[in-house]
Amino acid sequence: MTSLEMNDTRSEPSFLRRFMGGRRVRRLLRHRSFMIGLWLCLFVTVIAVLAPVLSPVDPNKMAIRSRFQPPSLDFLLGTDNLGRDLFSRVAWGARLSLAIGLGVVLLNAVFGVLLGALAGYFRRLDGILMRLSDALMAFPSVLLAIGIAAAMGASAMTAVISLAVVYIPRTARILRASVMQVTELEFVNAARAAGAGDLHILRRHILPNCMAPLVVQLSFVFAYAILSEAVLSFLGLGAAPTDPSWGIMISEGRSYIREAPWMTVIPGMAIAITVLGLNLLGDGLRDVLDPRVKMEH
Amino acid sequence: MLAYTLRRIAQAVPILLLVSLISFGIMQLVPGDPAAVLAGPNATPDELVHLRQTLGLDKSLLTQIMIFYGNLFQGDLGYSIILGEPVLKVVIERSPISISLAIYSLILTIVFGLFIGVVAAMKHNRWIDQVAMAFALIGVSVPNFWLGLVMIVLFSVHLGWLPTGGYVPFFEDPIGWFLAATMPALSLALMQIGLLARLTRSTMLEVLGQDYIRTARAKGASEPRVIIKHAMSNVLIPVVTVLGMILSVLLSGSVIVETIFAVPGIGALLGNAILGRDYPMIQGGLIFVAAVLLILNIAVDVLYAWLDPRVRVQ
Amino acid sequence: MTHRNSKNRLRGLLVAGAMAMAAGPAYAELCGNVGGDLVLGMEAKLGTLDQHVNAANATRNVAMNIFETLMTRDENMAPILDLADSLDVSDDKLTYTFKLRSGVKFHNGKPLTSADVAASFDRYSRIGVDRSALGSVDHWETPDGATFKIVLKEPQASFLESISASTVPIVVVPTEQASAEATRLEPIGTGPFQLEEFVADSHVKLKRYEDYKPNETLESMSGFAGRKQACVDTVTFRTLAEPGARLAALETGEVDIVEDVPTLSKERIAGNKDIVQTQLKHAALWLTYPNLSEPPTDNLKVRQAIQAALNLDEIMDAMSDGSYSLNPSFQFPGQLYYSEAGSQYYNQNDPEKAKALLKEAGYDGEPVRLLTTRDIPRLYTAAVVMSEQMKAAGLNAELVVLDWPTALGMSVNETKGWNFFYTGWITVTAQGGAQSLRNLADPSNVHKPKDNKSDPQFMERFNVLSTSPDLDERKAAFAKAQERVFEEVMAIPFGVTPKNQATRANVKGYVPFFNTRVSNIWLAE
Repeated sequence: MTSLEMNDTRSEPSFLRRFMGGRRVRRLLRHRSFMIGLWLCLFVTVIAVLAPVLSPVDPNKMAIRSRFQPPSLDFLLGTDNLGRDLFSRVAWGARLSLAIGLGVVLLNAVFGVLLGALAGYFRRLDGILMRLSDALMAFPSVLLAIGIAAAMGASAMTAVISLAVVYIPRTARILRASVMQVTELEFVNAARAAGAGDLHILRRHILPNCMAPLVVQLSFVFAYAILSEAVLSFLGLGAAPTDPSWGIMISEGRSYIREAPWMTVIPGMAIAITVLGLNLLGDGLRDVLDPRVKMEH
Repeated sequence: MLAYTLRRIAQAVPILLLVSLISFGIMQLVPGDPAAVLAGPNATPDELVHLRQTLGLDKSLLTQIMIFYGNLFQGDLGYSIILGEPVLKVVIERSPISISLAIYSLILTIVFGLFIGVVAAMKHNRWIDQVAMAFALIGVSVPNFWLGLVMIVLFSVHLGWLPTGGYVPFFEDPIGWFLAATMPALSLALMQIGLLARLTRSTMLEVLGQDYIRTARAKGASEPRVIIKHAMSNVLIPVVTVLGMILSVLLSGSVIVETIFAVPGIGALLGNAILGRDYPMIQGGLIFVAAVLLILNIAVDVLYAWLDPRVRVQ
Repeated sequence: MTHRNSKNRLRGLLVAGAMAMAAGPAYAELCGNVGGDLVLGMEAKLGTLDQHVNAANATRNVAMNIFETLMTRDENMAPILDLADSLDVSDDKLTYTFKLRSGVKFHNGKPLTSADVAASFDRYSRIGVDRSALGSVDHWETPDGATFKIVLKEPQASFLESISASTVPIVVVPTEQASAEATRLEPIGTGPFQLEEFVADSHVKLKRYEDYKPNETLESMSGFAGRKQACVDTVTFRTLAEPGARLAALETGEVDIVEDVPTLSKERIAGNKDIVQTQLKHAALWLTYPNLSEPPTDNLKVRQAIQAALNLDEIMDAMSDGSYSLNPSFQFPGQLYYSEAGSQYYNQNDPEKAKALLKEAGYDGEPVRLLTTRDIPRLYTAAVVMSEQMKAAGLNAELVVLDWPTALGMSVNETKGWNFFYTGWITVTAQGGAQSLRNLADPSNVHKPKDNKSDPQFMERFNVLSTSPDLDERKAAFAKAQERVFEEVMAIPFGVTPKNQATRANVKGYVPFFNTRVSNIWLAE
């Protein structure tokens, strides 16, 4: 990181345009871990999108006679205790995991930006919003998610909402910090002096300059959301039990971990590969876009 | 310094109140009740209504809240419905178990996280760096409950090195404690090790590029001396701030690990309380845990303020 | 049940006991060895040990080694005296007079008196889950310290079956516990083991009660009653929720007994000479019952169609991984009331017939909601397989999967939102006779009939079953009542699973039962 570079981007209101194209993209494309992450994520995304085509059978199709088949040419990743094809289930599970992760990211983007910007820019709201986020963050996150999920009943939507509630305060805090930083900068004062309204300043001058830490944070939220969804589903509180979710597959497999270890190992690997891809992607984004942010929880 | 500390503590009180109100609200929305859990599948609706009455679950929300806070101000967290014991007693019994596990994983985190991070930074862009960072990445990408299950099969079943779980009090049998706690602590720590190693490496790289390090090197200071004396002291500041965060994650993120390894800690206690609709246990337990986490965060902030005086002014 | 109102039979038991006593101090023979810590790997988490308000199997597994009852069930689930050594029933069948065994002491050192028994019945009638068992009681009295007398309002042929019921037993606790609030009973009983340490989610440790007074009227243990002796010094019930970890703990010798061996693992551990496998062949009856208040299962034809569509072999195979037996009855084979009446409706596996019935019923694709839980994997699997079979027969089956407390609460409290609920009956079926069908009769009615009135024909037969003094008449009534359940599709039994257990080879004297008993078990050198 060089201080020159930072000032350069901070004082340039058309950051967004440059963010989308040009030098940064070229730097990203040369960034090794970003590219590995990108390929992994693309791989998982392709499987998720093409799940209906790739799956040899319906992921919920039972065949009691062919249960507990180890991975083989007939059953690429083996079958489970009800004879369901694990390859199909993992592929459809990718769909579900990515959809839930994306849902959490979207809610985080919307509410994290909204609350973070409000708290960071309108200092009067700051106290209330930050205490509320303190309270939400004082909850052990898994317990908070379990509580919300128990209240709403297991479904993909529940998983999205309960995980969003857990991560939004964290995203909002990061955005608040950058908003506070940017607000201090010269060009914001200049805009204000020129008679621009608060909303205009926020939208045109401040938020575009807070995008970098937000994008980085969201890439990690995506990764955490997929891990946490697996935890919730494992406990029976995430995706609907009829959905082929990776967490549910692990939970079903653990009863047979000795005799049919593939039932547990394969969905675990699927989670690890996806999260690894997202983490690498996030690392790349952070290195290129926002070298100051070092670690998120 | 004292004023800063007091201010932080004063801020904590309304947060705790919010925590308990939020948890009350959530639990009111949760369907199912502990009476059904106790009475079992063959109870009739009449029997269930009666059991609800004897357990005091038929009172209105407002009455329940009043009773709860009335008791709370007398330092009474009520009785657990499912366990039939005072909430405070149970929480105090269980806390040391989670805390000792958290400390064990914190030690693992600090030792391995710092070590891997420092080594990777010193051998920047060489194969050691690559291996270390690959390990750290895997650490932050693998689901810890899955890792726990796999470790049980590997270390308990196939190799027979470690017990499958359970808990042995440290002061009764330190070696037994060590054996039983190793797998749970490791599953908890792996992600934090990854995070800390990555943080340490990047901070270290940044510090090593600073002028004063170059000056020290130019003056002929030996490399270990540069690392330990000059670089480490600067690396520690951000590390301290994340340690608080890591410790709270370790304390609270243990629901699933404690469940898998049959460790009777606070995480398993509260997880089961939610699943069994044990309202007083959830309420009291959450307030207790939140209070501990807040105190911890305050302690970390105060420590940070002490290390870095600029913070105090903010 | 045979000796339900026959004091002679109970006296007979007494005589047998006296003879056993004459043969010498028999109970020493119960233990081949004394001492050691017996460790059990348990499946389920354990809640309060307040046996009066907790119906969980996991609780009985521990609590019934601490507490004892006035009457309980023997090995064949017939009523048997335990803390009493005689019972007199008056000729008008209104007064039951129990004489307590002498020399029995609570774990707090106080001797058992009739006041304690009265206090326990007081507490149970106040807060006990199954307090309707005492519904026909007018009052109880304690003429002297060793006599407990129950006076009924009107004769009830099944009274002894009720008070000896073992789902939520009326355990006897000290007088001062009578006012203990629900779930806060102190676990002080008269049993061979006393509580040493209770850490929920982890373990419960019991230790031998040195002043235990065994029931010497029997030669050995029978059900929860009979001659019991604590051979081991301590017993540790460890909760090991992970099935893989539980069996691994047995293989490594961390635990001595596991409550449940997965079907798949049976073969693998069969080769292990350090492990002995045991089985209780008929341990649980799995079933589903419809909601008769919610369309479309309020329509008999639709219910019959669903009944016709099911392939129960497939359902049982899937839910038990292949360890099961089909069972066209609400009793286990070998039980007194076992009957196959109505078995023509069982396991029909006839989707075509189902489709015809659906057409007749005018079914037009309304959803049929199967309410189940993943917390009990077998119930979940049963519902999943059943939904597939229903779809194949043209039914619009939908799974509603909730966590156990929610699903259970919904099935008990709601008549809307579900069409089938899944459960497993253990003690309900094991206790036999009227108890086994009680859930389908007024006022329980788990199947939610209209106005909470069960089918009149069924009730007529059920009333004979629960009141007739004649066994043959009761057996005939059971068969006819069961047939009616099949005809009306008030419940669909799937089949029976065994309880597969395993012990280390040095564990001697272990006899599997519906609940775990740790008396008379010893660890060989």
